[in-house]
Amino acid sequence: MAREKIYEDFSFLHHRAKIALFLILIIFFLLALNYWKIQILDHRKYWVLSEANRLKEIIIPAPRGRMFDRQGLILADNTVAFRVCLIRENNLRWKDSLPMIAKLLKMDLTSLQERINKFTSQPFFFPIVIKDNLSLEEIARIEARQLEFPELFIDREPKRFYPFGQITAHVTGYIQEISYEELNSGEFKNKTMGDLVGKTGLERRYENWLEGVNGKKLEIVDSLGRSHGEYSRIEPKTGHDLQLSLDLDLQRKAAELLEGREGAIVALEPKSGEVLVLYSSPSFDPNRFVSRLSFKEWMEINNRGDNPLENRAVRGLYPPGSIFKLSVALSALHKGLITSQTMHFCSGEANYYGRTFACWQRGGHGWINLVEAIKNSCNIYFYNIGRQLGIENIAQTARQIGFGSLTGIDLPGEKEGLVPDPRWKQRILGQEWFPGETISVSIGQGPIQVTPLQIAVYTALIANRGRPVKPHLVKNKDMMSKDQNNSRTSINLKPDYFETIIEGMWLSVNQGGTGHLAMVDGFDVCGKTGSAQIISREKAEKKQQIIRPHSWFTGFAPRYDPKIVVTVIVEYGGLGGASAAPLAKEIFAFYQNKINKNKNLND
Amino acid sequence: MINQKHLKEIDGIVLAAVLILSLIGLLFIYSASYYLPGNFFTRQLIWLLVSLIALIIVISIDYRRLLLFSLPFFILTNFLLLITLFFSRRIAGTRGWLDLFSFRLQPAELAKFSLILLLAYYFSEYRQEKLTLQVIVSSCGLAAIPLFLVMLQPDLGTAACFLPILLAALFLAGLSRRALAWMLIIAVIAGTASWHFYLKDYQKKRLITVIAPSQDKRGAGYHLLQSKIAIGSGGLIGKGFKKGTQSQLRFLPARHTDFIMAVIAEEAGYLGSLTVIGLFAWLIWRLLKSIELAKDRAGKYLIFMIAMLIAVEAIINISMVIGFFPVIGIPLPFVSYGGSSLLAHYLAIGLAINVRMRRFTYA
Repeated sequence: MAREKIYEDFSFLHHRAKIALFLILIIFFLLALNYWKIQILDHRKYWVLSEANRLKEIIIPAPRGRMFDRQGLILADNTVAFRVCLIRENNLRWKDSLPMIAKLLKMDLTSLQERINKFTSQPFFFPIVIKDNLSLEEIARIEARQLEFPELFIDREPKRFYPFGQITAHVTGYIQEISYEELNSGEFKNKTMGDLVGKTGLERRYENWLEGVNGKKLEIVDSLGRSHGEYSRIEPKTGHDLQLSLDLDLQRKAAELLEGREGAIVALEPKSGEVLVLYSSPSFDPNRFVSRLSFKEWMEINNRGDNPLENRAVRGLYPPGSIFKLSVALSALHKGLITSQTMHFCSGEANYYGRTFACWQRGGHGWINLVEAIKNSCNIYFYNIGRQLGIENIAQTARQIGFGSLTGIDLPGEKEGLVPDPRWKQRILGQEWFPGETISVSIGQGPIQVTPLQIAVYTALIANRGRPVKPHLVKNKDMMSKDQNNSRTSINLKPDYFETIIEGMWLSVNQGGTGHLAMVDGFDVCGKTGSAQIISREKAEKKQQIIRPHSWFTGFAPRYDPKIVVTVIVEYGGLGGASAAPLAKEIFAFYQNKINKNKNLND
Repeated sequence: MINQKHLKEIDGIVLAAVLILSLIGLLFIYSASYYLPGNFFTRQLIWLLVSLIALIIVISIDYRRLLLFSLPFFILTNFLLLITLFFSRRIAGTRGWLDLFSFRLQPAELAKFSLILLLAYYFSEYRQEKLTLQVIVSSCGLAAIPLFLVMLQPDLGTAACFLPILLAALFLAGLSRRALAWMLIIAVIAGTASWHFYLKDYQKKRLITVIAPSQDKRGAGYHLLQSKIAIGSGGLIGKGFKKGTQSQLRFLPARHTDFIMAVIAEEAGYLGSLTVIGLFAWLIWRLLKSIELAKDRAGKYLIFMIAMLIAVEAIINISMVIGFFPVIGIPLPFVSYGGSSLLAHYLAIGLAINVRMRRFTYA
């Protein structure tokens, strides 16, 4: 074994090899340092990212609070509905499959695209609800092709359901998908695109109270978004319930009575201001609106000539007609212009400022006092005292009583109406006040405008002998203290004045006055009729046109210790109490019956 | 042929290093793919056994004898590359694999091995310390053949691996700094040209991604970001075998192949990545030390080129998964799934062992 000697000089090679080795070891060392940086120093950051990566947050929508009537009947409930969402992230080529999806869901492709375009500002993982209220058949169809459409995702959501639909529609209101404008308004802070929010009625007014806190579900998912089980879950918190003062039986009765007519019925408890009935006719079925895609149906109803979406009870503006005479009477009593015994002579017509004003009774009422004037709704009597009072005094008392301002009911969109005076006319029309207008206003005609709810609240004030109330629909104990401060600024009118007026109202109903159609045996109804002229009678006669005035009736019962105020307006219902008084009578009778039944049960 | 005395001189350290790397590879290939169809673990195991047999064959034949066959072998592998271009299915957009019974062969990997042999043979009689232009041109020309054939597949990453072999040979042969500078200039020009004429959009994107990985989280940067999340979330000791969420929930791309390092780092933590980096450093250190022991010029060239090939591939792969290098599809030698790569690297290691164990001449 002899070792061969190496004569070649390899030192250059070895030197270069050493350089290479040195460089490579340095690089490996630097790599190890970099891994140290990522794995040890930045560990926390990447750990959080990896957790976020595999955990997908799924929102569990919270059911809204329910609404109950005063007897505990459910007026707004939640059921379960299924919806299908499109998650763009799950299929990067979702745009290509849109025509297929439209076919699968039997939707119009352009409207589907429009819908998705609304959400372009949302991140890719955001589930876009493309169809809700799925039928079982639709669910099956989607589920069967889930592998083909990984971007489709079915989930459950609570669906609003109004068991009494039309009957309570104007009270409950309805929910719809939040609009872009609402989102930007900052009013709905914890809402996002696609959420449903209250649009009208109590749904809108008590949105913050009714809305729950959405739950969250963390699911372990892979990179294709497929679920590998649930990681954690925060249950949604149901919103707070609303306890309403509404009496569904009365409300239903009101709906029946106004069937086929346009008008409104409001009933309240005069002492508490609790609203028992608030019905506006025609009504609509809010259940048709709770879908996100019911915009077309909504537009259809919105554009109807008879305006079913308008809540006439709080938004309908009408001249009060003869009902306003009570306010004029109060004003005159307060100013000391008349006493309950002051007489005026009614010949059937009278001439003021060169113009003839007629009483509705052509033959006239002869010499009558205030009580009889109220009973028979004599125009001439009130023309006289109105002229003496002057518009300023009439307007002052009317405003004091609550006309021209919001009643403060817990419904959105209430209107305040109008109490005219010279200053108003100057400002709006730029014209002088004609003394003749005072004559019209004295009997509740002319530019004066009130809502049915204002009339009801005004009637409650009379029934309370001057104590004003604030009407409200919600009587949750936990909200009363802060929300329902029940005393409006007290009125300095003597209770005696009210007794005089109530006497007239009682006679009107029970002694063959204008309100006799509202008489209910044993319930001592006190009331006043009214007709809101749409154009003046003289004009109508000239045009040979028969436009019937709106028919008003407002009243309360019983005379002493009043329990209920009922206000009815029937649009184009004819003179005086012709059509409104009988409806009020039905409500009074129904209520009396109900009280008696309860009494018997309790006894 | 194989001598008892030679057997004693087998470099156990090199062999141990590559075997440990292969076993680590096997382990994490299993972790990254046991839930997938395709039996990657079993296939890799079979390839490992085949590679070990190939290694035994390579070390049993004197490397000087093998060198004599280098030219025909080179011609053969390039011919395979050529027919691969015409007779192969497109897989992931490239034509790089030949179907061989139930296994797929990647001729490019064998071409690397044959280029090493040929260049060693070419430089074995080169005794000057300065390179002549003729030598540079001819060696570049040799390397260019497989390089362009692979670029036509087109597989940029694998093609790029021929460069470290060539550069290693030229460097050892005395490439001057000025020549190195020239080559860099040429490389820049070629790079710019290929940016405009050769690179596909996705490849350009990948290059941009290295510079700004968070530019688009769903595009080219997505894979890289997921890889970094996997590595970073591994921490010191990792999430545990088969417990890497990034890997198990399939956020990681090419988990068992190019991104196996991310799986190791996620499931075995910094200790795991340090082990892999350490094993490579140890292997390279040991190989380059062997150069001084090799008895002839050819042997030294062989070992140097082999060491540089493995070092460059490992460095590129390990930096690629943390975004320090464009994602160009270079597997981690010995660790990543891939039979041809494993075979070629074992052949190369066999050669290096071969050179070292035959450093003595026996009568």
